[in-house]
Amino acid sequence: MTSFLRSRTLLLTGAAVLVGALTTGCGGGKSSSGSDQTTGVTITVTLATEPPPKASLDAFTQSTGITVKWTNTDWDSLQTKIAAAATAKTYFADATNVDWSRVGQLGKLNWFHPMDEYLDTKALAGEMPQLPAFTSNGHVIGIPYDASFLVTTVNKKLFTKAGITTMPTTIEQYTADLKQIKAKGVAQYPLNIPFAAAEGLSTYWYQTTAAFGGTILDGAGKPQFATPGSPGYRAAEWMVDALKQGLVPPGNINVADSQGQQTLMAKGVVASTFADYSGNVGSLYSVPASSTVVGDVTYLATPGVSGPGPNMSNPDGIGIPRQAKYPAAAAKFIDWFTSAKNQAEFAGAAGPDKVMPGYFLPSRLAGMTELTQKGKLIGGQQLGDLLKNSAKPVFPEGAPSWYPEFSKAVYTNLHAAATGSVSTADAVKAIAATADKLSS
Amino acid sequence: MPRRLPWARTLGILFIVLWSLVPLYWSLNTSLQTDAQISERPANYVPPGPTLRNYHALLTGPGEIPETIRRSSLNIVVECTAATLITVVLATLAAYAFARMRFRGRQLLFYAVLATMAFPAYTTLIPLYRIMSVFGLVNTYTGIVLVYVSGFLPLATWILHSYMTSLPLAIEEAGQVDGAGRMQILWRIVLPLAWPGIVSTAIITFLFAWAQFLFPLVLSSDLSTQPLTVAIAALQGRHVVPFGLLNAAGVLALAVPAVIAVSLNRFIVNGLLSGSVK
Amino acid sequence: MVGTRSGRRHDVSPAGTGAPGTPRRPGRRFDLLPYALVTPLALFIVALALFPAGVTIVQSFFRVDELNPPTTFNGLENFRHLFADGSVRSSLVNTGLYVLIGVALSTVLGIVMAVTLQRPFRGRSALIAVLILPWALPGVVEGIVWTGIWDSNTGLLNSVLTSAHLIPEYQVFLGQHRFLTIFAIELVQVWQMTPLSTLLILASLQNIPGELYEAAVLDGCSPWAALRRITLPLARPGIAIAMVQAVIATINVFDQPYVLNGSADTGASLTMQTYFISFQNLDFGEGYALSLLITVATLILSLGVVKLVYRQVEF
Repeated sequence: MTSFLRSRTLLLTGAAVLVGALTTGCGGGKSSSGSDQTTGVTITVTLATEPPPKASLDAFTQSTGITVKWTNTDWDSLQTKIAAAATAKTYFADATNVDWSRVGQLGKLNWFHPMDEYLDTKALAGEMPQLPAFTSNGHVIGIPYDASFLVTTVNKKLFTKAGITTMPTTIEQYTADLKQIKAKGVAQYPLNIPFAAAEGLSTYWYQTTAAFGGTILDGAGKPQFATPGSPGYRAAEWMVDALKQGLVPPGNINVADSQGQQTLMAKGVVASTFADYSGNVGSLYSVPASSTVVGDVTYLATPGVSGPGPNMSNPDGIGIPRQAKYPAAAAKFIDWFTSAKNQAEFAGAAGPDKVMPGYFLPSRLAGMTELTQKGKLIGGQQLGDLLKNSAKPVFPEGAPSWYPEFSKAVYTNLHAAATGSVSTADAVKAIAATADKLSS
Repeated sequence: MPRRLPWARTLGILFIVLWSLVPLYWSLNTSLQTDAQISERPANYVPPGPTLRNYHALLTGPGEIPETIRRSSLNIVVECTAATLITVVLATLAAYAFARMRFRGRQLLFYAVLATMAFPAYTTLIPLYRIMSVFGLVNTYTGIVLVYVSGFLPLATWILHSYMTSLPLAIEEAGQVDGAGRMQILWRIVLPLAWPGIVSTAIITFLFAWAQFLFPLVLSSDLSTQPLTVAIAALQGRHVVPFGLLNAAGVLALAVPAVIAVSLNRFIVNGLLSGSVK
Repeated sequence: MVGTRSGRRHDVSPAGTGAPGTPRRPGRRFDLLPYALVTPLALFIVALALFPAGVTIVQSFFRVDELNPPTTFNGLENFRHLFADGSVRSSLVNTGLYVLIGVALSTVLGIVMAVTLQRPFRGRSALIAVLILPWALPGVVEGIVWTGIWDSNTGLLNSVLTSAHLIPEYQVFLGQHRFLTIFAIELVQVWQMTPLSTLLILASLQNIPGELYEAAVLDGCSPWAALRRITLPLARPGIAIAMVQAVIATINVFDQPYVLNGSADTGASLTMQTYFISFQNLDFGEGYALSLLITVATLILSLGVVKLVYRQVEF
C-alpha cells in the first residue's frame, strides 16, 4: 500500500503545479461583458416561484421583443446556485432572486448590478415601502417584486369553539387564549411554531421579537437581545416555553415552516401560527385542494405588548447578476414585472386567468390600492393596512453580509433549546456571541 | 451442493422483500391518496379510494408543472444514456489494458483513478463549474455528461477490471496462439465473455447518473438541461409542499430505475455469476 | 481447475502482453496499445477529477473568502479555525457515529442478504431486482419516502406502533434524542447502500467453489460452521470492497440528515458543515480545508479496512 500513498503524493504535486499555472494565468480576469441589446433577445429569469401566466409573458414579448425563459428552482437550491455562480464568476441567469436576507452578502460580493444604473430607484423608493431593505453600500441591488411579510393567522372556528369571542390583541391575551383552547380540549396543541433547524425558525423569532417590541440587531450589527428581559430574549423564552407547556405539537421539533402550515394549520390541527406568511390564507388555507379549514382561518393583527405589534417584512426581490448576458433587457423585464398593473393582476385583480401562482401582495402601494379597490384579495383590506402601517424590515439598513452565518446560529441554538439539550439562556447567549463575533 | 437451512433462507428472502418494498409501497400508497386521507390516524394502509389526481396534476395539461416534468424527464434520459455509453466504452478499454497488459505507470494510474472516488462531491464542485464555464459548457448536455463520465469512470473501471481478471485466461491464450491481435482478442473473445459484466456496469452507471442532484443543479441553468431530480426538488418549493404530489413525483422518478432493475436483472445476476467457477 | 483468484490482480499479472513465453517486462519495443486504451480514461480523470481536487487542496491553505478578497496564503489558519468551531466538532462526533452505524449495519445486512442469495433458487433474479430498488432510488426521492415513515404526524411507524399498542400516542423520532436521531437517519442511508454491499459481497461468494462446501458436509460441518469457516473468510475481498464503499458513503452523508433533520446539531454531518461554510458563508478556503480533511480521513479509513479485511485468499 505504500506505493499507493507515494503515487498520490506525486499526483498531488503535479496537480499543485497545474493549479499554480491556472491561478496566475487567469487571475483578475473578471469583467462583465453584457450586451445592451433589448430586442430580439431571450433572457433567462430564475426565481423560486412559478412563472406568471403564459399570456402575460407573451404580451411582454410582443411589446418588447424580449423572450423570457423562466426557470423555477426551489429556494435552497437557488441560493446554492447563486453562491456557486457568484464564486465562479459565471453566468446562469439574466435576472434572479435577491432574497432580503442575502442583500448584505450579495451586495458585498458585488455580484449584482446596482439597479440605479437601469431604473429610477429614487422614485421607486416612494412607491415601494420595502425598497430600503434591498440597499447595500448605498446601491439598490434588487427590486422587491412582492410584499410578503409575517402576520399572525388564527383559525377562528377553533377559537370560537373554545369560547373565545374577542380576538386577542396582546401576546399575554393570545397566550391565555391558546391555553384555554388546549384546556377545553379543542386542540391538543393549538400553536404552530416550526422548530426545525432551518431558516423558518429564525424568521419566526424575528417576528416574535418585533411583537415583543424590539429588534434583533442594531445598525452596527450588535445584538439587542442578550440581556434577560429584552424583547428578543423574551421572545425566545416565549417560544421555547410554549413548546414545553404543550402548546406546540412536540413533533414540531422537526417541522419546517411550510410543512407546519400545510400539515397543521391547513388541516385544522393547530389553531394559530403566530408568525405566518402574508398570503397564506388566500393561497393555502382557503384552497379546498390543500385545506380542510376553508373559510375558518383569518389574519390577525400581530398581538404585541400592549396592542397590535409590527410585522416583519420578508419580501422577495429580483436583481441582475453582473454576468448577465442581456442586463438591459433584464432591466426592462424587471420594470414590467414590478409595474403596479401587473402586480395587481398577478395577485388576482383581473381574475384568475392573470394570477401568478404563489404571488403574495404587490410591493407597490399603487398595485396594492388597485387590488384592494377591486376587492379581489382575501383579507386584502387588512393586509393592505398592515403593509402600509406596521410592516417594517427586519434589518432597516439591509441585512449584514454575514447574515447566513448568524441565521444558522439562531436556528440551531433555538432548536437545541427546544430539544432541551441547552437552556434558553445559553442558547440566547450563544446567538449573541455569534453576532458579536461577526459584527466586530 | 450441501443442504442449507431452508427456514433461514426463507427468513432472509422475507427480510429482503420487506426491507426493500415497505418504504416504497408506503410512498406509492401516499401518492394515491388525497391530502386529507394522508393525515388520517391511524394511517390508511391501502388507499381508501385510489385516486390518480396527483399524477394527473404532475403529468397532464399545459401548466408549468407538467411541462417541467415532461421536459426534465427527457433531459434525464438523454444525460443518463449518453453518460452510460461513454463511461462503459472508455472503462471497458481501460479495464482491458489494466487487466491484461503491463505498462509503465499502470499501478499509479489505476490507484489514482480509484482514489478520486474518495473526494467528496462538494470538494470538486466549484473548480469543475469554473472549468465548464471556461469552455462554455454550463447548461449544455455535453457539460453535464462530461462531469458524469468523470465521476462514474472510476467505479466502472474497477468493476470491469475485477470482472476481466476473473475471466479464464486459457481461451485468450488460445486466441494468441492462433495469431489474433490483442484488439481482435478484445473484440472477439473478451467482449463476448465479459458481456454480462459490461451490461451490469452499464446498469450501475445509469442508475448512478439517474440519482444525481448537486452537479446538475449547478451545471444546468434552465429547463433545457435540468434533469428530473432537480425538477422534483423544485417542487418542494418554499411555501407549498403538497405531500401527495411529492410522493407521486417520487414514484415517477423511481419508475425508470425500477423498470430497469426488474427487466434487466437477469444481466445483473449473470454479470455476477459468470465470473464464478465453471 | 479452480478459477483465477481476483485477489492477485495487482501482484503478478498472470497475463503477459504478448503470446505466452514472451518476456513479461515492458521495454525492448515500446508498446503503444495499452497507453492508447487508457488515455481517454486518464484524460477524464486528470482534467475533471484530479485537477479540481488539486485546486481544492492548494486553496485549502489560502484565505479564499469571497466576501473579503483578495485571496492570500494563510498556511494552517483555515484548519485552526475549523477545530475551534463548535459546530464542526459536534458534526465530527455525529459523522463518527454515522460511519460506525452505517458501515457495521450495511456490512452485516449485506452478508445476510448475500448468503440468502448465494445459491440459485426459483425467483432469485426477481428477488435481486427487488433488492436493488432502494439503491436505484435518487437521493431526492429518498427523503420524500422516508419522511413518510418517520413523520410525527402522518408517519407509518407511528401509525403501526400505535395500532399495535406499543406506544400510547404518536412520537417524535427525529430531532429529540441525538442517538436515536442519528440512528434513524443512518438507517435511511443503510437502506440505500446495502443493495450495493450485498451485490459486491455476493460477487465474491460466487467465486467460492462448491467443492469446498461438499467437502465440509462430508466432514460433518454444520451450515453455521460452514458459514464461519468457508463463506466469511473467502468473501473477504467482497466484504472489504463493500465496507470501503460504505465508508466513503457514510463519511460523506449529506442528503439524509439535511432533509430529515435540518441543520440541527443533533444530526448535522461534516459535509453539511462544508456546505454551510462554503456556500452560505462563502468562506471557500475553510470549506476546502474541511473537504481535504474529510478526503484524508476517507482514505485512511478505507486503507485501514482494506488492510484489516482484505486478505489474499489462496487454496
